[in-house]
This record gives sequence, C-alpha cells and structure tokens, in this order.
Amino acid sequence: MSLLLSFYRIIKFTIQNFFRNFWLSFVTITIFILTLITINAVIFMNMVAGAALQSVEEKVEVSVYFTPEASEELVKSAQGYLLGFDQVRDAVFVSGEDALELFTERHQDDSIILGALEEVGDNPFGHAIVIASHSPDDFAFILEAIETPEYAPFIKKKDYTDHEAVIENIESLNDRIRIGGIVLAIFFTIVAVMIIFNAIRVAIYVHRDEIGIMKLVGANDWFVRGPFLLEAILYSLFAVVVVGVAVFVILGFIDPWISSYFGEVQVDARVYFVQNGLLIFGAQFIILSFLSLLTTLFAMRRYLRV
Amino acid sequence: MIRLKNVTKTYKPKVHALRDVSLHVKPGEFISIVGRSGSGKTTLVKMLFAEESPTRGKVVIGDWDISGIRRADIPGLRRQIGVVYQDFKLLPRKTVHENVAFALEVAGERTGRIKKIVPQVLKIVGLANKTDRYPRQLSGGEQQRVSIARALVHRPKIIIADEPTGNLDTIHSHEILQLLKQINEFGTTVVLVTHDRDIVNALKKRVITIHEGEIVSDVKHGKYVLS
Repeated sequence: MSLLLSFYRIIKFTIQNFFRNFWLSFVTITIFILTLITINAVIFMNMVAGAALQSVEEKVEVSVYFTPEASEELVKSAQGYLLGFDQVRDAVFVSGEDALELFTERHQDDSIILGALEEVGDNPFGHAIVIASHSPDDFAFILEAIETPEYAPFIKKKDYTDHEAVIENIESLNDRIRIGGIVLAIFFTIVAVMIIFNAIRVAIYVHRDEIGIMKLVGANDWFVRGPFLLEAILYSLFAVVVVGVAVFVILGFIDPWISSYFGEVQVDARVYFVQNGLLIFGAQFIILSFLSLLTTLFAMRRYLRV
Repeated sequence: MIRLKNVTKTYKPKVHALRDVSLHVKPGEFISIVGRSGSGKTTLVKMLFAEESPTRGKVVIGDWDISGIRRADIPGLRRQIGVVYQDFKLLPRKTVHENVAFALEVAGERTGRIKKIVPQVLKIVGLANKTDRYPRQLSGGEQQRVSIARALVHRPKIIIADEPTGNLDTIHSHEILQLLKQINEFGTTVVLVTHDRDIVNALKKRVITIHEGEIVSDVKHGKYVLS
C-alpha cells in the first residue's frame, strides 16, 4: 500500500475519531489542561520567587571606605581594578564631599550629630567605593581581592560584616526556595504523568473492541495505531494551546496585582512568559506528546494481539 | 482451498479444544460446521483466519501453510478471507459505508475504486438506502448484512460465517442464509458455523459435526444430527 495513501487515511480517521467521539476527546483534553495548569503554576511560582530573590540580591551592596589620606586617583584606580573582575556587577566611586553631603542630609534633624560634625571641623569622610556583585556569594572574593599592598593600607572599613548576616539569610532562603521549587516540580510532574497515563489508558480501553475489529478486518498494527497516536498528539496540541492562551490572559489580569504586591521588586511574569513562552510551551507540548504516545503504544499493545 | 491436517489445539492447563482434526474443503464448496457449545467449532474456524494457532498439526489456505504464520503476515491473510461474526463486529463510530470501505482501505485500495465498489456491494445486501447510518441506527438483521457486505467487498475466495444468525430472528436468519447461498453460487467457498438445526437442514449441503473437539461425522448432503 502506498505510504502516502495510508498516511492520508490515518489522518482522516484521526479527525473523524476526534470529532465523533467528542466527549471523550473533550474530557481527555480537559485532564491534560488541568495537569498543564498545575505545572505552569509551579513554573510561575518558581519564577516569581526567583525574580523576587534576584531583585533583593541586586539591592545588596557593599561599601569600601578609604582613609582621608587616600587620593581620588588611588580610589578611582581601585574602582577600575574592581571593575576588571567578572564577579563585580558595578563599582561606584563616592567622593568624600558627596559622602559628607549625604551624611548631613540624612541627619539634618539630628542636632547632636551635626554639632559633633562641626566640632571635628574638616571633612572626616574619605572617598569610598560602593560595590554590587552578580551574586552575594561573590562578596567574600571581591573584598579579599581589593586587599592588595597598593590599596590595603588606605582601606579604613569594609561594611561587609554589617551585611554578612543578611546576605547569608538571602542565600539560604534562595537555596531553600530553589530546592522547594524543584521538589514541587518533581512531585507535580509525577502526578501529571500518572494522570496522563490514566487518561490515555481510559481512552484506549473505551476503544478496545474497535481495535480488535480493525485487526480482524485485516488492518496491520500501524494502521490501527496511527489514528490513536495522532489523536494523542492532537490532544496534547489542543491542551498546550489552550493553556498557553489561558496563561497570558490570566497574567494580564494578575500582573498589576503582582507588581503592586512586590512593590519596588521587579517581577514581570508576563514578560518572562513572552520571552520564554516558546521554550516553556514547546517543551510542554513535546513532553506531553511523548508521554501520550508512549502510553498509547503501551495501552494498545494487549488489544492488538488479535 | 482449505486443508487441516491432524490439528490439535490445547489450552493451558490441559483443555483440548480440538483433537487431531483433519479436513479438506474444495473451492466453491458450502460447508456447515455444527456442534454444541464448547465442541470446538469456533476454535476451528478461528484458525482459518489466524485468530488462533494450532498446538499441533497443519492449517493450509490455498497453498499457504498458516500453521506458524508470522504476526506481520496475518493482515495479508485476513484481507483474503471474509469473516461474518455472530456479534457483527462493526465499528460503532463509522457509518455503514465507512464500515464496508474500511476493509478496502486497510488493503490500500484506491479511493476511486472504493467509491465505486462499496455502493454496489451495499446494493447487493439491500442497504443502498442506509449508507450514512451508524450501526446503532440499524436492526440486527441490517447490521449482519453490513457485516456480510464488509466480508464480501474485497471479493474473497473464502467466506467464514461464525454463527451469523445467532442474534437474529427466523425471518432475518433466512435472509442471511439466502445471501450466503447467493455468494456461494458466485463461486466463493463458504464455511458456516452454526447450531441452528433448521438452517442446516434447509441448506442440504455438506455438514461436518464436531463433538468434544473431534469430527464425528462428515456428510455430503447432511442434516443436523445432534439431539
């Protein structure tokens, strides 16, 4: 038999079966949709938690204060030196004058502090560098790196120790959320796989007599399997498309709410799903189709032995 | 056309469905295989289209020894034999036309030819005006006629009818019998499995009686001899 003709007939039977057995198709797709919604909810939660943490991490900065003796050239050279490291996201030079201005502004209502400052006379602040890293883990390395013989004698204070506890807390929270996310994703994936297996097995069980009849009439195994396999892919496609549209619609509604909930922290779920949508939903389609095909093949095996 | 040589079928643990059965059916013959329930007659015909395989012995269809037929060759065998079942075995989600066409589609017949042949066969079985109905919308007799049309459509040399009137009333049973006789008159070998005394006696054709897995009588113009 011409392969093309067989393929055409398999496609014809797939479409016929899909619509003539509308309620079974509807129920199977609905089960797929509910499963995918659960998976996407886990992806969404991981993404929000990750974005929130990243945003907090980005706000962590460590300052290196230099003695008043350190010249502007020396501190700026230290700034350039720091910017040469991959771990350093940014290093901003703050002059002694700017530091004094900032300090005065911050304590403008505190007459005691301002009085003490006046007592000192000269500007007691030296120049400083405010460092931002890609990850809080990097601070230990960066602050050690700056301790070169050239700069070390002029370093008055590094406020890493003040932030150390906060940074450690963030790191630990980050790790826990990531592990929690992975555990949750694995759990829901196992549940999803079981649900998909069951939905397909039920769909095949309903058609077990038809499978036997087709074989008795002279159909070969692949001619019988074909429409069921294509139907499984069709179910997966419908489910992923519906969930994809639903995710964007839902995000459209809840995005403003998320933004206001997280305040300054930038959590743009919609942008995340737009940027990664092809990968997220493409992967879901491929995995869902693969699982459905595998289950279909497995579930049909016994009914094909006619 | 059909040759069985010392065929034995044993199901586990030790149930002998057929014991050392030998049989020869010539081309164009009409034979009835009769026997009580559980006598082995259905097992015997199932071997003719490879739904069962013999534990021992040989089953030959035409020149093809199908005793140890490979799984991949079974569809080819079934496309050469038409089978009519007691429970019709129609595809519930396909119309009358589609059910009959399916037997040709699996064999890779061209669409144009299918469109030409199927209405002709449906006309022969008297269902030309019900081609778009689904099996659930037909009576038992009509469903059996669809089943016969499907068995006929690829012009097989052998038609096997396994209790085709088992689910039908007397009038419909005789209609089906007439159809099988007509098919036989065109030269097709017909193997009828039945326990219907009236049908066997009305046929006046060769009758093979099976009892406890053995052929106990084989008469050319026989009658139903079991009590």
